[in-house]
Amino acid sequence: MSEIVVKAPQGHIEVRNFSLSYDSIEGPVQAVTDTQIHVKPGEFVSIVGPSGCGKSTLLNAVAGFLKPTTGIVTVDGERVNGPSAERGMVFQQYSLFPWKTVRENVEFGLKMRGMPRSQRERAARTLLGLAGLEAFEKHYPEKLSGGMKQRVGIVRALATGPKVLLLDEPFGALDAQTRVIMQQILTNMWQRLKISVLFVTHDIDEAIFLSDRVYCMTARPGSIKAEIPIPLERPRQQSMMMSSEFLALRRGLMSLIREESIKAMGGELNDMGMQGLNIELHGHSLADVI
Amino acid sequence: MPASAIAEASAMPASTPPASPPSFGTLALRWYRLNRGGLRATAIGIISLLAFLLVWHLLTTYRVVFFVRFTNVPSPLAVYASFTKAIHDPKFLLHVLLSCRRIFFGFSLAAIVAVPLGLIMGRFKLVHEIIFPVAEVLRPIPAIAWVPMAIMLWPTNEQSIVYITFLGSFFPILVNTLHGMSLVDPVLVRAAQCLGARERSIFRDVYFPASLPHIFTGLTVGMGVAWVSLIAAEMISGQYGIGYFTWEAYSLVQYADIALGMIAIGVLGLGSSMLIRGAGQLVMPWRSR
Repeated sequence: MSEIVVKAPQGHIEVRNFSLSYDSIEGPVQAVTDTQIHVKPGEFVSIVGPSGCGKSTLLNAVAGFLKPTTGIVTVDGERVNGPSAERGMVFQQYSLFPWKTVRENVEFGLKMRGMPRSQRERAARTLLGLAGLEAFEKHYPEKLSGGMKQRVGIVRALATGPKVLLLDEPFGALDAQTRVIMQQILTNMWQRLKISVLFVTHDIDEAIFLSDRVYCMTARPGSIKAEIPIPLERPRQQSMMMSSEFLALRRGLMSLIREESIKAMGGELNDMGMQGLNIELHGHSLADVI
Repeated sequence: MPASAIAEASAMPASTPPASPPSFGTLALRWYRLNRGGLRATAIGIISLLAFLLVWHLLTTYRVVFFVRFTNVPSPLAVYASFTKAIHDPKFLLHVLLSCRRIFFGFSLAAIVAVPLGLIMGRFKLVHEIIFPVAEVLRPIPAIAWVPMAIMLWPTNEQSIVYITFLGSFFPILVNTLHGMSLVDPVLVRAAQCLGARERSIFRDVYFPASLPHIFTGLTVGMGVAWVSLIAAEMISGQYGIGYFTWEAYSLVQYADIALGMIAIGVLGLGSSMLIRGAGQLVMPWRSR
């Protein structure tokens, strides 16, 4: 563990005047526009929004996979120019290397850093032990359940001691039971490591349960519609999800997202030439129906 | 520690060893249950091979003529007789050995050139754009059609036969390697980049292992085509080799030897593709269950 925790509070993510568009035959398409977000060192921040709003695009830009069209992404004042081990990432699709065992997967980042074999073996074992995976170190990923794969994915991303952890709907493919357990595991690890987390999800409960702050995005082109602090005390318990405080937050976020989802769907319906059906898509009438 | 407690709960149930060692009888029964499918397949396989031999035997002993003429076709017993003679004949063994050597050189060269070329073409667009059109034009030309050209190109017969074998296996290996490269999951590449991997290690630790299953498909297909090409080349321009042996048997009216040559080719082909499959399992332990 000692390799990971020692660093002074760092991992300050700053996204300023951010926009991203890509070219298509009909001209440039705006995916994300005029967006400012930040994550303070050690903070857990989620981004929620309707599907296709560009939340994954934004996360991929922080990871360094996409270049902003305008604006700037910095971590601790340094401009993000491409992917690096300083920003660990967990993907929605299981992204373990199928040809490496669980331990070799976890060791990979340390190997890239040039850590000698025996040392990285020990580090990987320790980390796997923390996640309750030591019994599976010699297994190939194919033999693991979805939840275990994603746990290994998180451990692998944390192994190099990154400044920030980026998660792109990591539990989206898991069943409800496993998802709850994974959320618990993630908060435990985060509290222990005091690492900054930027978490993308479309699950409102998940966002509230995990986060210190939640950004809600608008429909495409995505921008920040609202920033909601989550004042629930820590450590969070599953039972809190029934508290009136939680439910109030949930209701607020839900209505924000629903507005945007309807906007997104209304746009689609219009595109499909559905006006003929006499559905009033502008204003709030459809919202009232749904 | 709550994390590990939760982890334990969601972990897959590990198979617990029974307290006392089971008796031989129970073990044998269990083994039988687990391998029933395999045993069945083996038994049926043996029966069908025997049936094949029986039909062959009947067709030849009664010299059946029914559209196809079995008048001159050697019987299994005649082929067996010539087999027992052949294995004591150093010349026959030389034929087999030379064919194997040609396959070894031709196929190995093809693998050594085609696999790296495919990997590089898959990774670097420009190389792909330059080489792919040429490869596509040359690919449909059967290796046998290269025989006259090969004889002109290479100073010795031996070299031209190896060259034909090389050509036969080259394209299947190249095409399959390229295919494997095109199917590499981009998420794995990004995952590696996020862990600090640079171009070289991405190539070595992601692209190469991810393409291996397809590379081995290419090697298996390539080995098959290598034998096809080799036999054709040997029949046309050889002085030695199992293909030449088979053709010579026909010219010398040694009918039993024709069948012997054919069976030898079949067995050698089967053996070499089994070797490749075995190598594949060694190199890709994550794919064997």
